[in-house]
Amino acid sequence: MSMLNYHHFPIYSIMVLFFGAFLIAAIGGRDIAKNRKTTGVRAFIPLLATAASLAFLIALIKPVMLGGEVIAYWMGSRGISNGYAIGIALEVDALSLFFALLIATALFVSAVYSIKYMEHDDNIGQYYILYCMLGGGVLGLVLSGDIFNMFIMVEILTFAAVALTAFRTKVYGALEAAFKYLVVGCMGSTLILTGVIMLYAQYHTLNLAQLAALIPGTMNNATKLAFALLYIGFSTKAFIVPFHPLAADAHGAAPASISVLISGVLTKSGIYGIIRLTYFLFQTMELGAMQFMLVFVGSVSMFVCVTMALAQHDFKRLLAFHSISQIGYVLAAVGLSTALGISAGLYHAMNHTLFKGLLFLAAGAVLHETGTTDLGKLGGLSKKMPHTTVLFLIGAFSISGVPPFNGFASKWMIYQATYQKAVETGNIGFLLVTIIALITSVLTLASFVKVSQSVFFGQLPAEYENVKEVPFGMRLAMGILAVLCVITGLVPQLVTRYLTEPAARAVFRVGDYISSMGFASQTPAPAVSFAQVGVWEPISWLLILCIALLAVTIVAVAGKYDRVSVRSSETVDTKYQLFYGGEDNFHSQVGGGDLFWGFKHNWRHYFSFMHDLHSGIVNDYALWAVVALALSIVFVMIVL
Amino acid sequence: MTSILLNALQYLGYILIFPGFLFCFVCGMLLCGIDRKLVARMQKRVGPPILQPFYDFFKLCGKETIIPDAASRTTFLAAPLVGLAALVVIQLFVPIHGFSAFYGMADVIVILYLLLIPALASILGAAASGSPYAGIGLSREMVTIISCELPLVLILLAIAKTVGNALGTGLCFSLSAIADYQLVHGSLITKARMIPAAIAMLLVIPGETGNHPFDAAEAETEICEGMLAEYSGGPLAVFKLSHAVKMLTLTSLFVALFLGGVGTGITAVDGVVVFILCVIVTAVSISFVHAVTARLKIEQIFKYYWTVVSGLALVSLVLAWYGL
Amino acid sequence: MFKKLIEESTAKSPWLFHINSGSCNGCDIELVAILTPRYDVERLGFKLAGSPRQADIVVVTGPITKQSLPRVLRSISQVPEPRCIVTMGSCPQSGNVFKGSYSVAGPLSKYVHVDVDIAGCAPKPEAIIDGLALATQILKEKRGQM
Repeated sequence: MSMLNYHHFPIYSIMVLFFGAFLIAAIGGRDIAKNRKTTGVRAFIPLLATAASLAFLIALIKPVMLGGEVIAYWMGSRGISNGYAIGIALEVDALSLFFALLIATALFVSAVYSIKYMEHDDNIGQYYILYCMLGGGVLGLVLSGDIFNMFIMVEILTFAAVALTAFRTKVYGALEAAFKYLVVGCMGSTLILTGVIMLYAQYHTLNLAQLAALIPGTMNNATKLAFALLYIGFSTKAFIVPFHPLAADAHGAAPASISVLISGVLTKSGIYGIIRLTYFLFQTMELGAMQFMLVFVGSVSMFVCVTMALAQHDFKRLLAFHSISQIGYVLAAVGLSTALGISAGLYHAMNHTLFKGLLFLAAGAVLHETGTTDLGKLGGLSKKMPHTTVLFLIGAFSISGVPPFNGFASKWMIYQATYQKAVETGNIGFLLVTIIALITSVLTLASFVKVSQSVFFGQLPAEYENVKEVPFGMRLAMGILAVLCVITGLVPQLVTRYLTEPAARAVFRVGDYISSMGFASQTPAPAVSFAQVGVWEPISWLLILCIALLAVTIVAVAGKYDRVSVRSSETVDTKYQLFYGGEDNFHSQVGGGDLFWGFKHNWRHYFSFMHDLHSGIVNDYALWAVVALALSIVFVMIVL
Repeated sequence: MTSILLNALQYLGYILIFPGFLFCFVCGMLLCGIDRKLVARMQKRVGPPILQPFYDFFKLCGKETIIPDAASRTTFLAAPLVGLAALVVIQLFVPIHGFSAFYGMADVIVILYLLLIPALASILGAAASGSPYAGIGLSREMVTIISCELPLVLILLAIAKTVGNALGTGLCFSLSAIADYQLVHGSLITKARMIPAAIAMLLVIPGETGNHPFDAAEAETEICEGMLAEYSGGPLAVFKLSHAVKMLTLTSLFVALFLGGVGTGITAVDGVVVFILCVIVTAVSISFVHAVTARLKIEQIFKYYWTVVSGLALVSLVLAWYGL
Repeated sequence: MFKKLIEESTAKSPWLFHINSGSCNGCDIELVAILTPRYDVERLGFKLAGSPRQADIVVVTGPITKQSLPRVLRSISQVPEPRCIVTMGSCPQSGNVFKGSYSVAGPLSKYVHVDVDIAGCAPKPEAIIDGLALATQILKEKRGQM
């Protein structure tokens, strides 16, 4: 095979990142920020590596997404021997590629952003080494065809992520957050390893395809236990309830460029793991009880985390909780086990990477210029950072599901999928999921109204009078994501046709996955339908809105609406002061914590309960992990 | 070529004249005037002339527009325009007794979300003004939106299920299909199981439009008009117009969802009939409630919507679910 | 024609902003009285506005105490043009029984141009309506000159 055969591309896309990491290490050891020359080179290597990685993956869209091919790639010369897979394999189907594309996009954008964002930090070399390791680890995880390899990659990415979380050691709470992450992350990794060992002991193979061929129909208690262990292991990686407090701490402390990766990349790897586990390895999603488990956990995640987000007063912690809330949507949709549901869930996963990345980068921009992300201290930045404000608003509208941005397109598919499932099964529980999803959506909007009021609008505190717009490099990174947010919202049909539907179809074609590795498959691919009941044509809507807006604006301008009076001289004119009931103006900003009192008052018992629950003590969180594990073991033992 | 041009002109006519801008402007303002007159009569007052909202609008157009120093100018000025345009677009999607200008472009869940855009526009405009009164106002507005969301969702799901059952598809989100269903099976309000949902919807309308007693967000006596505290002149006129159009949109949505039926087939007559129905809905759900109640506190609004109104809607949903 | 329409509308839709500058509350109650069903000035389009930004007519009651003077002036300055300033009751015009007090800075006409004075302690509702109706005509003229 020629070097440029696309069958090599998956391994290239992984290795280019690891190679980048080694190259950065080779250039030099510790350095200080003043040393511009090597810093520049070091920032350039990850940029190049992530771009190359993304390019390799994009080249795979044609054969894998459109052609429906499953790339099976044996590393080295070892393959199958005596009917058992002894070599290490990569296996790329549409699902893997879908996640890999998301991850590579996030990595690339974050690398662009890092150049300017991290330039004042020390030890840039280490940062970029870990960055590339993290990227390579996640890509390796989603492209791997070998469950032990998945575990290795989980370890690499967990340790890289822990180190990056604590990268700014001087930030308050960074070490603590990293420690918490380390404790629970290691528990998760250990569970995955234990699960892998149990599977290997049963089936004498580590190949995903072969396991998928062997496991269904031969499940015993040990396999079920392995399932529960793997499930909880991947849950810790996705930070779904009850592991969400870790995400909040980690995001709050990590640099914004790393928060993008934690929310856009690490959580996705967890979701990917869960999908592989449930749909491929164990093929348990036919069972109502398993659907119930995923949908239930997803719904709880989305609701609990959105309410937790409403109570936050730190920009990045708030975003962190939203991140898990959106992952809840993804999990709930994927757990429906319908083609539309999976397609909607994957669509939302993609959108989540885009808009949450954008929001974290906006938070990073605010942090970069003002030095704080405390919602109580900020305000009125829209006058100083107009571009960042617009980009933030695009992200905020997207995550809140305001049409025509991408969050709406995917959420709307999720509502349809859940409601359709409810009608098909006659189960009123799924209807509840629709309602929870809709309410979560409006609560998300509420908390982003809170952020825009307390960070970008309202009054500018005197100490931020000299704040400037962020450098172009950072705006460029945000701009890329903002454009993607708008495009994916405007053409949902194209996105579903070329990206999510092939991936969702791949989920139902377990047989192809198994047979392309050279194993006998028992499962025929079912017929799937992506039919939707709703109608929504964003482009036509946008066109009408534009005409309407144009008409209003013309009338407004013709009616001298544009002739407004603003202060012309430098002196203070009482006419242009704000109305304070006649008083002289002073700084008075309605703080983020004071907003939505009417809502919080009615929910005060719930909030105080949640407050007690999120103690911030790592022992508690470890205990939660144990309880979650125990519950899931019991549940799995009963229902499987 | 000419046919394309004619088509384009026709759609432009839809957007600008009927059921777009001109219709929204005239009927919304009339509805607002009728509401004020009705409230006055219910309180044994003479009340303003029915054309009063027009006078208010034109007067505001002639006033100076002051932009405070603390405001973010672009957002401050653009917000009312975006809100109004978005509202008019929603009105285009609401069918009028079978006549729908833009057939099958958005369903009820989309409408639910499109209704957020005008509210969001006013919230962002308020935030951009920098006033602390506006800050309190937008906070209350957002809570009111959250309050109304749950009952609205339940109502729409109940309708989707009822219509879907009859159509055999299980569920149906399309507004035009709901209109068609009512052509055949009669208005939804005549179904016993939909009556609680209709009552809930009547109670949601004043909350969504920000009318008494759910106007905590714009309480003029305590937080100085709240979100509109810094708005004057043209932008304020547009906000007042948006409020009037929102009344029209929500009442005509009620008419489309619950009072649909056989139209005469002549668009003009249907338009008048729908407008009369809208007036009746306004009288019941906005004017009457306004005249007999005092303003609620924001936490009471939330509690009320999430218990009483949602409860009513839930009754309908459960009845529709089990096909009773 | 549009200009004419705006002028006509200005006279038909005057929104009031009420400033109490240390009044004894008598005039304030009378001002509210004209909104009651008995007098109902809403039939003339009057409405109480919550913010000076939305007002056309500023109604000042009370003798303009020194404490309130800067606040009154600031609030008046925040009313967009065209605007009309109405003093209500004797206090803002002459100081009434508070005249000569160490804490009174009135009359208001020393500081801003006052368009209409409604005399009385407190003025009758009929007198208030009459004064306000006069103010609307002044408002219309001012709009015409804009």
